[in-house]
Amino acid sequence: MSATRSHAAAADTGATEASVGAPRREPRGGGLKLQLVAWTSILGGLALWEFVGRVLVKNSLFLATPWQTALALVQLWQEGALQHHAWVSGQEFLIGFAIAVALGIPIGLATAASRRTAAAVNPWVSGLYATPIIALAPLLILWFGIGIWSKVAVVVSLVIFPVIINTEAGVRNADRQLVEAVRSFGANQMQIFMKVSLPSALPFILAGLRLGVGRGLIGVVVGELFGARAGLGYLIIQSAEIFNMPKLFAGVVVLAAAGILLTAAFQALERRLVPWNYE
Amino acid sequence: MGAAKLTVASLHKSFGGLAVLEDVSLAVTPGEFVSFVGPSGCGKTTFLRIIAGLESADHGGIRIDDHPVTKPGMDRGFVFQADSLLPWRTVFNNAFIGLEVNGAINPETRSRTQALLRLVGLGGFENYYPRQLSGGMRQRVNLARALAVNPEVLLMDEPFSSLDAQTREIMQSELMRIWSSGRKTVLFITHQIDEAVYLSDRVVVFSRRPGRISEIVAVDLPRPRPLSVKRSPEFVAYVERIWRLIEDDVRLSVLEEGG
Ligand SMILES: Nc1ncnc2c1ncn2[C@@H]1O[C@H](COP(=O)(O)OP(=O)(O)OP(=O)(O)O)[C@@H](O)[C@H]1O
Ligand SMILES: [Mg+2]
Repeated sequence: MSATRSHAAAADTGATEASVGAPRREPRGGGLKLQLVAWTSILGGLALWEFVGRVLVKNSLFLATPWQTALALVQLWQEGALQHHAWVSGQEFLIGFAIAVALGIPIGLATAASRRTAAAVNPWVSGLYATPIIALAPLLILWFGIGIWSKVAVVVSLVIFPVIINTEAGVRNADRQLVEAVRSFGANQMQIFMKVSLPSALPFILAGLRLGVGRGLIGVVVGELFGARAGLGYLIIQSAEIFNMPKLFAGVVVLAAAGILLTAAFQALERRLVPWNYE
Repeated sequence: MGAAKLTVASLHKSFGGLAVLEDVSLAVTPGEFVSFVGPSGCGKTTFLRIIAGLESADHGGIRIDDHPVTKPGMDRGFVFQADSLLPWRTVFNNAFIGLEVNGAINPETRSRTQALLRLVGLGGFENYYPRQLSGGMRQRVNLARALAVNPEVLLMDEPFSSLDAQTREIMQSELMRIWSSGRKTVLFITHQIDEAVYLSDRVVVFSRRPGRISEIVAVDLPRPRPLSVKRSPEFVAYVERIWRLIEDDVRLSVLEEGG
């Protein structure tokens, strides 16, 4: 729920800022300086990690350094193992995410449109959203087998709830004033929905999807930990069992990179689909 | 006096047990500019919303050109007090929305909307988003949006109340210019008595809730009225007279609302 709330807060400040004349822009020089700080922080962190791994924790059973991790990545790539595991996990994530979105948005729209549907559906949604569903992963593996579909099911069960909740919140959040304004021209319910409710829900829906990215990746990995034949989570658990820390870290790094890339992609999508919040 | 453009016949409205409007009757002639003043909470907005068809009356009715109105329609345009532009639409698409929901999407209505935006001084800003505009510019878009459907009656609920004093004065004279070029019938709510006197042919004074018409003051100042007319003794006399009519009610309603 926290993402919905923080997004609602962002929308509020947007409304008050609207009284300021000119569009806001980051000052260019300041942006560059901040980038410099960010890169210094990243490189500094890696250097520190390398130092700790080489000098303080010499036992390679406990920690792999960035350098060793990089070497492991190259090796896994050359073997073709990296591509294989990433492909399997990527499929699990994308299929699960797509199903969750394809089901979650219509369900959210339906609960927003009708109080009765909301009354029937919402206790389940909020109940399951608050439950650590991930605990059901072993059960899902029992049901759907060791292949990708059990992981798809885990991803769906984690992603669908924030999507439903944010979609509903977004539609309900539509400003009454705006609805009235369009109604004053004789707009019917369908027009009000298409021209007011849906556009005002869009930033919320996208925030829900962005939230789903992180949860979906967790679903893939945890699902694979409980039973799989391939995938990045499988790579990680296999490497842990033979104490191959560089490979384990390589798996983690790939997952982290996927998370960062997907989140950035969604931010770019938001800028495209919600230009009025940025221009 | 010819046939009335708009007639309001013994309108009653209450919300739950709260009587808000009681027996309000009024006839407005075509092209007339009528303002409404009265203490806060006396039912002015409710009155205008009933005329717009956004709210229904308990009793009594509204007629435009002798046709009863119960629903919103293109014969009326509403300019809201609060900023009610759609943030995801550009200036042009905001101004165009009334025509759009009525299916009037064609080159002719498009160029008419363009012309209206120029009329309200927003030529060149068609592709801006509302948040890129100042408060005064946004209210101009609101006005253009209401005018775009080419309504016969323009309903304005404190349209300038959020603007600073200078912008407000400029918007008043702009509104006068636009009104004289099209001569729409205008119903205009305000708390500024001088604004009401400056703009109007008649000023309708509401009593405190339940709102009734306590007096109608005809403003006999020659048009066009330059802004400097506000310093003339006749103008000041009108303002004083109307203020005296509502002074006691305003005081009482403020005390009531305060606790
Ligand atoms: N939808 C509603 N439900 C219940 N009460 C309402 C509703 N709309 C208005 N009221 C009540 O009706 C009364 C009149 O409200 P209205 O907004 O018409 O006053 P107003 O004259 O426009 O006030 P102001 O000058 O402050 O804008 C108020 O007491 C208000 O609380
Ligand atoms: Mg009001």
